[in-house]
Amino acid sequence: MDRYELRRLDYSLTDDHTDLQNAYRQFFKSYCPIDTVRAAEASGFDKSLWERLCAMGATTMALPESVGGDGATLVDLTLVAEEIGRSLAPVPWIDHVCAARLLARLGALDSADIVDGTSLVALDPQEDAGAGRRLIPTGSISDHVVVRDGDDVVRLSFGTRPVKVDNIGKLPMAWVDPATADSRTVVASGPAALVEYQRALDEWRLLTAAALVGLVEETMTIAAEFAKTRYTLGVPISTLQAISHPLANMVITIEGGRNLARRAAWFCDNEPDERPELTPSAFVFMAEEASKAATMAVHIQGGLGVSAEAAATAYLVRARGWALAGGDPAASAKRIGRILAERESA
Amino acid sequence: MDFSRVELSDSDRDFLHDVRDFLQSQVTEDVIRHDRETGDNFHEGVHLALGARGYLEKEWKPAAEGGFSRVRRRIWELEKRRAHVPWVTWGTTAMVARSVAGFGSSELKDEVLPGVFSGRVRLCLGYTEPEGGSDIATCKTRAVRDGEGWVINGSKMFTTGAHNCQYVFLITNTDPDAPKHKSLTMFLVPLDTPGIEIQGIRTVDGDRTNIVYYSDVRVDDKYRLGEVNGGWTVLREPLNAEHGAVEAATDGLADVSIMMHQGGFMATAVDKAAAKVSQKDPNGRRAVDDGAVAYRLGRSAARLEAALSAPSIFGRVALSQTMRDIAPDLMDLLGTASTLPVCTDGAPDDGASEYIYRFAPLSGIYGGTLEVFRNMIAQYVLGLGKPAYGPPATKVS
Repeated sequence: MDRYELRRLDYSLTDDHTDLQNAYRQFFKSYCPIDTVRAAEASGFDKSLWERLCAMGATTMALPESVGGDGATLVDLTLVAEEIGRSLAPVPWIDHVCAARLLARLGALDSADIVDGTSLVALDPQEDAGAGRRLIPTGSISDHVVVRDGDDVVRLSFGTRPVKVDNIGKLPMAWVDPATADSRTVVASGPAALVEYQRALDEWRLLTAAALVGLVEETMTIAAEFAKTRYTLGVPISTLQAISHPLANMVITIEGGRNLARRAAWFCDNEPDERPELTPSAFVFMAEEASKAATMAVHIQGGLGVSAEAAATAYLVRARGWALAGGDPAASAKRIGRILAERESA
Repeated sequence: MDFSRVELSDSDRDFLHDVRDFLQSQVTEDVIRHDRETGDNFHEGVHLALGARGYLEKEWKPAAEGGFSRVRRRIWELEKRRAHVPWVTWGTTAMVARSVAGFGSSELKDEVLPGVFSGRVRLCLGYTEPEGGSDIATCKTRAVRDGEGWVINGSKMFTTGAHNCQYVFLITNTDPDAPKHKSLTMFLVPLDTPGIEIQGIRTVDGDRTNIVYYSDVRVDDKYRLGEVNGGWTVLREPLNAEHGAVEAATDGLADVSIMMHQGGFMATAVDKAAAKVSQKDPNGRRAVDDGAVAYRLGRSAARLEAALSAPSIFGRVALSQTMRDIAPDLMDLLGTASTLPVCTDGAPDDGASEYIYRFAPLSGIYGGTLEVFRNMIAQYVLGLGKPAYGPPATKVS
């Protein structure tokens, strides 16, 4: 690749971007305090928060105008995802919009209820399509589940929704066995359909990466504020480099991961074939860094941080659970390796 | 937000091709070999050629004063990297020349600046001391008034390029009793002054730097920059630039952080490793088909891209830290032959990954250590307060 190619390197947000960002930040601040997050842990889903979010247009914005959506860019969607991560919102927005966008691209989005979020679609986000029973991150609350099956993209539905299993990410996760679905519709088949499915996997990783950026930023901020007011031997622990340098490293992770996710999104929006490695790169980076950062954030708050009631622990568990919901992140790393090898041998 | 290719006017496209052809003709294999052998990161012939073409002056001056337009400046930066133009001594020269322009007398400016533009005058940094570290305000090199001039005694480390330069931008202590930021005076000392001894030091990445000794060096007062004991005022701006604490360019025509040039070495190492592992061995197998190889390559690329994306001072730390993090993995996945340096028979990536492994320690200390920058982020971005240090202790040895 020509690393010296003359391209702009402009990461700035437009006024519309910042308005969008502020609107969602304010929304989650108002409607999704940490108590709301905790209260939804049993089911992994806060239905009334979801309805409010959909009423704000969070699902319609993500869909193309051809199906009644507002045609937002992926850059726009990363801004929303970041706020979901910051607030740990118990809503299936990432999975739903990635699945719905996939259906739209395959010409199979025929329900206004999906567009406005009344009817939920789940996605199997595993990079390596397995067979048989699998964990679907939003499987216990969705009306449809979209999976790959050989060369087919299939939409499943169940008379009785699959049962939620407890999981570290507090997601509405369920074991789903395609063979036991009450209805199974082949949505599309063949290489072109699988390319679109891969794109859905990439979008899922991109938005998850953005969510992890918001997650890390919030848990870092809480830890930093704690450190400023906690004293040891007469000084705030924030002035000790064993505390301040790990916090500085978290800021560096946030700044790099955030810009990478946005750049990846920009290329998906504008030149999708140019840098296909960037989307999985954002994900691989944040998946690894999020749990390191979240662990350090707990550690900085010591005995108070490890309490099950501490906000820090809510971030700790989701930093792992969200990153792993799509399988071993190594699958994405290997995909990057193959993309690069292909590119550099050309 | 915009990462698109820049649309060029016909004349800017001509400029790009001119520059590319010219640099290619100048930076020959001999130049590259000279660089490797001397570790100079400077080549006088190339430098004078750049000066003769007016490129040094155009790079140094803002567009309003006849310098490059924004887009040509960006073309120039990228094409210099593409051609591997030795860069270190021009970097220090350009930086110091700004201080001369800002703080020098008109006599001194006339003496120095025309030569800077022609390439005949080069300038280096006399900051760090053998016993000092990143805190350059702790300065033991003394300058003492002597009639109309000054007498300087002391020594400086990392005066990179001194043996190819005509002047050194020297931090001296002119008031040992004053608080350290009020004790400094800056001089532009001619390096041919009696009493100066330059001793070369090779560093592990292959570059050469110098330790410079100053023994009863007499300089005229005209070589002073700024006020006596006002050195910190002179230093602050070049230090800010060197630290990379600068705003992002709104037109996207600049690096998002300092050290992007060095980040390019890392990108080269990743790309070369990718090219190598895509090749088939005699049995028709590609290394990248081994999951352990693909994983490490992919993870390294992901970390590289995150570092390349991080802006400002964050990017600076990210680039140096990432170089340290990924160089060993890149070497591992290329196997034993990754230990072979550039231009060695069978080197799988022409030494790119073993080079960044050796270079990474350097990039994490020059212009301030990683700890200095983490302190700055902690204190100024996060508001965590000034670092708490233990009480001063008397040095044992």
